[in-house]
Parts: sequence; structure tokens; C-alpha cells
Amino acid sequence: MHFVCCIKQVPDTAEVKIDPDTNTLVRAGVESIANPYDVVALEQALRLKEQYGGRVSVISMGPPQAEASLREALSLGADKVILLSDRLFAGADTLATSYTLSCAINKLSHEHPVDVVLCGKQAIDGDTAQTGPGVATRLGYTQFTYVVAVDWINTEEKQIQVRRKVEKGSEVIRGPLPALLTVELELAKPRRASLPAIVHALREPIGAWDGSAIGASPKELGLKGSPTWVRSISSPPAKIGGPTFDAGEDLAEAVAKTLDVLFSDKSFAIKLAKRWEA
Amino acid sequence: MAKNTKGIEVAEIISDKCIACQICIGECPVAAIQLTAEGVARIDPELCIGCGKCSESCPVDAVLFEKKKKRRLRKEERGIPPEAIPGYEGVAVFIEISENVGAQVSWELAGKARELAEALNSKVMGFLLGSGVEAIAQDAVAYGCDEVHVIDDPQLEHYLPVVYGKALADLSETLRPEVLLIGATHLGRDLAGVVATHLRTGLTADCTGLAIEQETRLLLMTRPTFGGNIMATIFCEHKRPQMSTVRPRVMRPPEKDEERKGVIRHHEWTPPMVELPILVELIRDSADAEGIDIARSPALVVAGRGACDPSTFHLLEELAHLVGGAIACSRPVVESGFMPYERQVGQTGKTVAPKLYIGVGVSGAIQHLVAIQGAEKIVAINSDPKAPIFKVADVGIVGNYLKVVPELIAQLKKRVG
Ligand SMILES: Cc1cc2nc3c(=O)[nH]c(=O)nc-3n(C[C@H](O)[C@H](O)[C@H](O)COP(=O)(O)OP(=O)(O)OC[C@H]3O[C@@H](n4cnc5c(N)ncnc54)[C@H](O)[C@@H]3O)c2cc1C
Ligand SMILES: Cc1cc2nc3c(=O)[nH]c(=O)nc-3n(C[C@H](O)[C@H](O)[C@H](O)COP(=O)(O)OP(=O)(O)OC[C@H]3O[C@@H](n4cnc5c(N)ncnc54)[C@H](O)[C@@H]3O)c2cc1C
Repeated sequence: MHFVCCIKQVPDTAEVKIDPDTNTLVRAGVESIANPYDVVALEQALRLKEQYGGRVSVISMGPPQAEASLREALSLGADKVILLSDRLFAGADTLATSYTLSCAINKLSHEHPVDVVLCGKQAIDGDTAQTGPGVATRLGYTQFTYVVAVDWINTEEKQIQVRRKVEKGSEVIRGPLPALLTVELELAKPRRASLPAIVHALREPIGAWDGSAIGASPKELGLKGSPTWVRSISSPPAKIGGPTFDAGEDLAEAVAKTLDVLFSDKSFAIKLAKRWEA
Repeated sequence: MAKNTKGIEVAEIISDKCIACQICIGECPVAAIQLTAEGVARIDPELCIGCGKCSESCPVDAVLFEKKKKRRLRKEERGIPPEAIPGYEGVAVFIEISENVGAQVSWELAGKARELAEALNSKVMGFLLGSGVEAIAQDAVAYGCDEVHVIDDPQLEHYLPVVYGKALADLSETLRPEVLLIGATHLGRDLAGVVATHLRTGLTADCTGLAIEQETRLLLMTRPTFGGNIMATIFCEHKRPQMSTVRPRVMRPPEKDEERKGVIRHHEWTPPMVELPILVELIRDSADAEGIDIARSPALVVAGRGACDPSTFHLLEELAHLVGGAIACSRPVVESGFMPYERQVGQTGKTVAPKLYIGVGVSGAIQHLVAIQGAEKIVAINSDPKAPIFKVADVGIVGNYLKVVPELIAQLKKRVG
């Protein structure tokens, strides 16, 4: 079995904000990390390898710094890691990203046929969740998004069964390999790397492929291959809150005033009194 | 402006404006720009030739560069065909089916599509896939579709991305809408990426705002990114349709008008020739077994970490019952195991739009607030007067919920019985 994980290096988004006065990004102290969903995808790939045998390859498209995430993947047990880096890749939207990743997966497939590709449900910066379906469609792989469990793989009959989230619950579904999974955080708890493994990973070579190495057509890459453009950025619309009342002073009065405010909107008061009917 | 040792006036990046989109890196003809470990672009002044391409391509004006004559990038240089793409018309909405009826979000989109179509002086189309869906096609007309295009086939009874993806891409290729909108539901987000890839067009994810720019007729799509901390406005100039998924419960649904007239057309299609996955089992959420969907509840009492105590649950339950609503919660409360994920409000939970939202011990983190924008009235109860939730609340009480909630229950009973 050949498992391929796609890992994106992302800024720790909880820290990124816009300065309301200058309308610029505040990124002091923001670290780059491997996208948390992708670390779960890697964990699942490693477990599948332990169970069914085979190899785990990891690819990441990004600037040279994305190497850090790939070293992390090596220290956790990936067999082969490849950095997809080329100036031509820069500025890619999800259409161009899925193109680049699928070219790389095709190349990996020539070395050893790929059975399962594992992606995160979404990257925490771009947040689109579009790359996985894009790659699956380009490669013609069976697509399973929002996966919360991998039940089994039948290596003989080339079938996989997973559990995935749907709107009203979850479904158990099986389909033919090769398949692409996008995974939810609860799928698996990632392991920690041992110190020797981390040290060892520092010495391992990291493969690097550029556009020509993956046989990509330059006009489909990066900015040129991207139909969507960012026009502008802004802070989420600011709201000024209504009045607040301090219950520490006089509890009954604070609550009464609160209800006065709420009920001052007569149509709202009527709806509440009727408990929302019509 | 700074000069390098060769005397060339070079460009510089204003790092706190840079959003690391890397567009300039791809544009720079001499590879002088790299992304630093801090995640901002940096220009090597010694390599820079002062051409200004970075400055012209930057979407957020983060490049400090002045040029005597500002040269706009030629379209071919951006890899874009010089002529516009003719023959695309109309605003299309994918009509999602949920529990055998049209999903609420589809009608919200139909309403928005009407607005966009008016700005474009064009029509609204509904794209409907399924098996035995005549009644839903009628509803689509009643919610404002001028035309409903249907593929009605037993093979479309259950959703599979490969099947629906081809069907919707086929319809889109035949009917050539200028805009195609899909609800950002589980199903919609699974499907949209497939369709956009088939059509090789741009897709903007999870939008909360859509508008037509009059001069260019372009669709401007606004969406939260970086975990809700930043709004980005995105456009798709040279590919059609302009596609976007749109968050449920953000757009206002139109009134249903049974008298409206529209055209319903059925289309033939060829299913994809691949081995299809087989649905083994569908498991409903336990919360659903209780019949509660927080996204539909008219009132919500939302427990935050500050009220995450099973022994006080009865208080919240009583309040919820009194206001005719249900209990929901923030993410830490789910993480503590106290409540199921189905009750989580937020970016990674559900988007809600109750008439009344009462936050109890919820601080109001951005990932929580993005999902309650559609609430009609927000009441906050929090012991910290500086809690950000007060900034979005219509009214707030600063205090310990253990004291406030019982008093609130008592007074509410007097006022509304
Ligand atoms: C502010 C902003 C808004 C944007 N909005 C859009 C938009 O609406 N539409 C659009 O098409 N593009 C958009 N983009 C571009 C988008 O972020 C990039 O295309 C990005 O390369 C992939 O998209 P994502 O971050 O959403 O990843 P997702 O599609 O959410 O990622 C899902 C999974 O795909 C894999 N993956 C994604 N990227 C990589 C990678 N570089 N290397 C390896 N694996 C990867 C990972 O497994 C990841 O978990 C936006 C960018 C910015 C800066
Ligand atoms: C990628 C990402 C996705 C996320 N998605 C979500 C999401 O979907 N939903 C979500 O909710 N969060 C989400 N979060 C987490 C979010 O950032 C916040 O951490 C979370 O919303 C905080 O929950 P809280 O308000 O309940 O807890 P806290 O922030 O800890 O706030 C508790 C509040 O209770 C008050 N309090 C304490 N004791 C009392 C008392 N006795 N009486 C009254 N008030 C009291 C405190 O003053 C405080 O304001 C996400 C985060 C990330 C990074």
C-alpha cells in the first residue's frame, strides 16, 4: 500500500489579527506550523501503514521554509518527504494548488502506485476545504471528505470503508481504491516524535521537486493558473454593543433593565410571548 | 525610496500589510522575493531591478514603490486571455435537498441570486438534481427562480460527489450561467470543489457577502479567512461561471410566492462511467434523535466555559424551556465532554440564527461570533465586563450566572408567563 499525505505549512491563525486603527495585519510572534488537520492525516496514514504494510510519502507545496513541516513528518515516521517548491507555484488558489499536488501524486504513482491520499479537511488559514475534492477530481480517485474513522482496507479487492460526517449525522461508506480522504480532527490523536527520531530527521535528505520535475504545464501553475484573486482584506464588521447592567450592584434591577431593553422592541416582545409562532 | 548599491530604486515590502499571498513572488522576474520565516514577503534589494511588478500585482498595497510612469500589467502577462468570455448569462443556484425538501440555504441563495440578477439585468436559474423532485422544482419557482433545470434520475437519489459533480458540471456547461452559487453545507462544500475542478473555474469558499461591481459586472465575494480574524474580498475575472459557496443563515430568505410563474425544464445526462462507492449505513446524530437542531431553534441558551458545570445544567435548561428554545454551547464545553458536538456553535460547529441568543459564560471569541451574526437579539451574561461578547450583544448583564440566571427566570416568568 502506498499512502500519500498532503501537508500545508500555515501560520498559527489564532494569532493573526487586523489592527483596527491601521487596517494592517498584526503578526508579531505568529509561528508557522503544520496544518493541524494534516498532522491527523499523517497519523492515520502511519497507522494504516502499520496495519496493512507499505509506505507513507508526504508532499508539501510551499516556500523553502515548509521544509520544517516535512522534517516533522520524517520524525513521526514518514518514509519519504518531498517539498514542492518553485517560484511558479506562488500565488496559487485551490485550482492551481490541486493541479500541482495532483501532478506530484502522479509522479509518486509512477514510482509506486498510490492507493490512498490523505488530506486535512481544511487548512486553518485559507479555510476553503477545496483542495482535497480538487485533487480527487483531477486524479479520478474516490472522494471521501470529513472522515472520522477508517474501518478497513481490503488490499485484495482494493476497497476501503470509512465513516464520514454528513449534515444530520454520519455515514458508513465504502468504495474502490485509489481513494482520497479529507480528515476531521477527531479521527486520530497524533503521536509525538521521540528525541532520537527528531535528531535523525534533521539529517535526512528532503526531496525537492519543481514544476518541470512534476511535468506540470507552467500556465496552470501558481498565479497564472489561478482564476480567483484577492482584491482586498478587512476586519470583520465591527459592532458596538448595547447597554450592559451590573448585577453586582443590584441584581433585580440589572435584570429588570435588561428585560426592559429587550422588550422595548414590541414585535420581538410579542414573538417571545407567543414563543415564536408566526 | 531606498536605493541599492547599484543605484537602482528598489521596492520594499511593508511587512505588517503583507498577507503572504505570494503573488509578488510569482511576479518578480528576477526571483528577488522570498517568504521569510515570519510569513511575510521580503525583497532582496541587491537582486531587485526596480521593475515594480510586485507593486502592481500586490492586492493589498503592501509594496512600497514609486514609479514615474505606473505601468499596468498587461493581461497576457497575468496569463489571462485578452478578450472577455462571451456567452455566459444568468445567476444559477444549486438547489440542495435535505429531508426530501429544498434546503433552507438554497432559498436564501435564490433570494440573493434575485438581487444579483437584477444588478446584472439577467435571470435566476435553479439547478436541481435528484429523484422524484417535481415538487421541489415548483418550490424553486415560488422562491424566485425564473427557470429550474432538473436532472431527475434514480441514480441521483443519494448524494455521491462523483455523480452529482458530473451532473452539475454538465448542466453548467449546457446552460452557461455567469454565476453559480452553492450552499456552504457539508454536501455543498464537498460538491463545489468537484464542479469547479471539472469546469476549471474559480471557486470562493464559504462566503458571507456577495455583490456585483457595477462597472465591471464582476461578482465580489467576501469571506472570512484566517479562522475568522480577517475578511477577504475575492473575485474571478476571467473564468466562468464565477462560483462560490455561501454560508447558510447569512442571507435573508425571500417570501415564498406560490403564484409565481417559471419554466421547469428536464435535462438528459450520462452518468460517470466509474465504479461507485456504496452507502453501507446512515447513522443519525443522537442529538437529532431528540429532535433538536440548534440551527433551527428559535431561541438558544448557549453555555460557555464559564457555565460549563453539569450541576447547574438544570438552570440553563429551565431558562431555555422558558424562552421556547434549546441549549447550545461553545467549543470548550464540547471539548470537556459535557455536551455533544452537534450543540456547538461556531466556525467549526454550527452557524445559528435564532431570534433570541442568550450567552451564559461565553467570552465571545471571533470563531464563536462569526456563527451568530444572524441572531436577531443577543443577550450576554458574563462576569467580566470586558468580555468581547458585550460588543455584539444587544444587552448584557455583568455578573455571576449562578445569581443572574435564577433572577432572569423569575422576572421572565412574570413578564411572559
Ligand atoms: C485571504 C485568502 C483567501 C483565499 N480564498 C480562496 C478562495 O476563496 N478560493 C480559492 O480557491 N483559494 C483561496 N485562497 C488561496 C488558498 O488559500 C490556496 O490555494 C491554498 O494553496 C490552498 O487552499 P486552502 O488554504 O484553503 O487549503 P484547503 O483546501 O482548506 O486545504 C485542504 C487540505 O489540502 C491540502 N493542502 C492544501 N494546500 C496544500 C499545500 N500547499 N501543500 C500540501 N497540501 C496542501 C492539505 O492536506 C489541507 O489540509 C485564499 C488565500 C488567501 C490568502
Ligand atoms: C480554528 C479554531 C476554530 C474554533 N472554532 C470554535 C467554534 O466553532 N466554536 C467556539 O465556541 N469556539 C471555537 N474556537 C475556540 C474559540 O477561540 C474560543 O476559545 C472559545 O469560543 C471560547 O469559549 P468560551 O467563550 O466558552 O470560553 P472562555 O473564552 O474561556 O470564556 C469563558 C467566559 O465565561 C466567563 N465566566 C466565568 N465564570 C463565570 C460565571 N460564574 N458567570 C458568568 N460568566 C463567567 C468569563 O468571564 C469568560 O468570559 C475555535 C478556535 C480555533 C483556533
